[in-house]
Amino acid sequence: MSIGLKNEFGTIDISNDVIAQVAGGAAVECYGIVGMASRHQIRDGLTDILRKENFTRGVIVRSIGEDLHIDMYVIVGYGVKISEVAYQVQSKVKYTLSKQLGMTVSSVNIFVQGVRVTNL
Amino acid sequence: MKELDGHRFAEMVMMGSHHLSNNADFVDSLNVFPVPDGDTGTNMNLSMTSGSKEAEQAANAHIGKTAQALSKGLLMGARGNSGVILSQLFRGFGKAIEEKETLDAKEFAGAFQAGVDTAYKAVMKPVEGTILTVAKDAAKAAVESAETESDIVKVMEALTDEAKASLKRTPDLLPVLKEVGVVDSGGQGLVFVYEGFLAVLKGEELPAVTDRTSMDDLVSAEHHKSIQGFMDTSEIEFGYCTEFMVRFEEEKTAGNPFDESRFREDLSAYGDSLLVISDEEIAKVHIHSEDPGEVLSYGKKYGSLIKIKIENMREQHTAILEKDEPMQKSAAPAKHPYAIITVSMGPGIAELFRSIGASYVIEGGQTMNPSTEDIVKAIREVGAERALILPNNKNIIMAAEQAAEVAGIEAAVVPTKNVPQGLAAILAFNPEAPVADNAESMTEAFAHVRTGQVTTAVRDTTIDGVEIRKGSFMGMADGKIINSDASLSTVTESLISDIVDEDTEIVTLLYGEGTTRQSADDLAGYIEEQYPDVEVEIHEGKQPLYPYIISAE
Repeated sequence: MSIGLKNEFGTIDISNDVIAQVAGGAAVECYGIVGMASRHQIRDGLTDILRKENFTRGVIVRSIGEDLHIDMYVIVGYGVKISEVAYQVQSKVKYTLSKQLGMTVSSVNIFVQGVRVTNL
Repeated sequence: MKELDGHRFAEMVMMGSHHLSNNADFVDSLNVFPVPDGDTGTNMNLSMTSGSKEAEQAANAHIGKTAQALSKGLLMGARGNSGVILSQLFRGFGKAIEEKETLDAKEFAGAFQAGVDTAYKAVMKPVEGTILTVAKDAAKAAVESAETESDIVKVMEALTDEAKASLKRTPDLLPVLKEVGVVDSGGQGLVFVYEGFLAVLKGEELPAVTDRTSMDDLVSAEHHKSIQGFMDTSEIEFGYCTEFMVRFEEEKTAGNPFDESRFREDLSAYGDSLLVISDEEIAKVHIHSEDPGEVLSYGKKYGSLIKIKIENMREQHTAILEKDEPMQKSAAPAKHPYAIITVSMGPGIAELFRSIGASYVIEGGQTMNPSTEDIVKAIREVGAERALILPNNKNIIMAAEQAAEVAGIEAAVVPTKNVPQGLAAILAFNPEAPVADNAESMTEAFAHVRTGQVTTAVRDTTIDGVEIRKGSFMGMADGKIINSDASLSTVTESLISDIVDEDTEIVTLLYGEGTTRQSADDLAGYIEEQYPDVEVEIHEGKQPLYPYIISAE
């Protein structure tokens, strides 16, 4: 699956993996996000925090017709206002995708899969 | 001051919140990261206000309890990225001093450090050059200062100073800030909070709202916002960026005293992005207006105008858009069904090509081959639906073929290797036929053409058994050197005898630099004498390097 663009020099194909990478990269830069979670929790073990190289597993890109939907499975740090962090991720992901890939996302859905508690 | 208690801390928090709220608009204007939506100031202000309210209500001599209340209020009211970070900073701060009645300088500095540690834990990839960096640098300075200093005021001073210095460095860490020419908005918000803290500890008034903010910062932030805001040039409502200063004159202000808020209000009727900074002598104004004249007239009521700068933002915006997508803009001209693109040297030949139907002639030739891009650009400029490219040089055929592939419209190359072939090919062009048929028939047409070119040798050499002296003339038939001599007419005449045969009907002479119309006429006379059945056409080609280009068909 990929998203295609066309211009005067030819076509540009952006694979869903790239979109997931960009979205994931934007998300982990957001304050309050400590990692991406696998969407297959049972299979991959409970809320193991995905390392950077495979954080695309925590991002699902779905294109339905013309619309692009992104589901993100995240783990947040303890003590943050989760609703606000999630909102920040949505807005940052939407902004980054439109800026870097010129894509308009129809929805960015955040699934908070865990809270990481760090002892102070 | 050696000890800080909860009441005093609550006062600090309230002042910090107050100071931030006074400057929220300015912080908004700096907001370019992570998303340039201009809400950092508003968000931080709301978060801090919520925190400050809790702290006020719970005000307790026990500083640990007060800090806890602040932390809770911040968490509940956290809005926006920087609001969340702020809440984390003070959560760590509060946690560290939970059990404390009062704080000494060391504990005070340590609490800030604990706040930073907590804040950094809640992010996977901290972006430096933001509020986090400012908080980190400031806390470090406070800890260092507290090692030798027991006065809490001094520690807070060190913290605030470093926070300001760190804020100034944020553009070096975060490229987007530098690009726009602003400091980080969240960091700026934090500095305002710290300034409020310090003011209470020192028992001082807060600095005036405007004097720390340079007009240039504000202007570039405003412009950035408007560039982000307008996708289309036609959306710009107020087209002129107008900047000027008014130097107040007594005779004018006597009957019409200058009042900044009224001045601002009056001006706001003329446009948007209004910024006014004034002191006793001067008012500096920046406004986006559709009618800069009226704005200037208004300003003149208060004194003389100095340093006037007016820019047309529509032009600038168009320029920005064009830089972004130059290709799409230039595809506008009227549609021709066919574009015939040729390459030639010399204005005369170009003219000749145009007169027989070429839609675009690219200047180029032996030493300056046009690139694929040049050819694509030419095709685009013509704006046709179909294109035929005649490279007229074997070194350009490749580029032409590539251009035909990427042109985005149906295009084909007629592989002409020189100008006479190109001319012959164009004459065979049929505007009704499809591209492929045309390419074929045109290629066929130039295949019958025999070409002679006369040029000057640039060095001594022997090619194809012909000895050539530097500076002498040489004749080439269909690209192959056949003779060389010091006399132009000798070379040309023997070249003609080589390419003209009994089937030849027309000979075309293109004379260029290095020869004259007179000699061309003489040559034509010679040809007609030698070959009575042949018609001779003479054109001025003005081509460099080749005195004669001759075709026979």
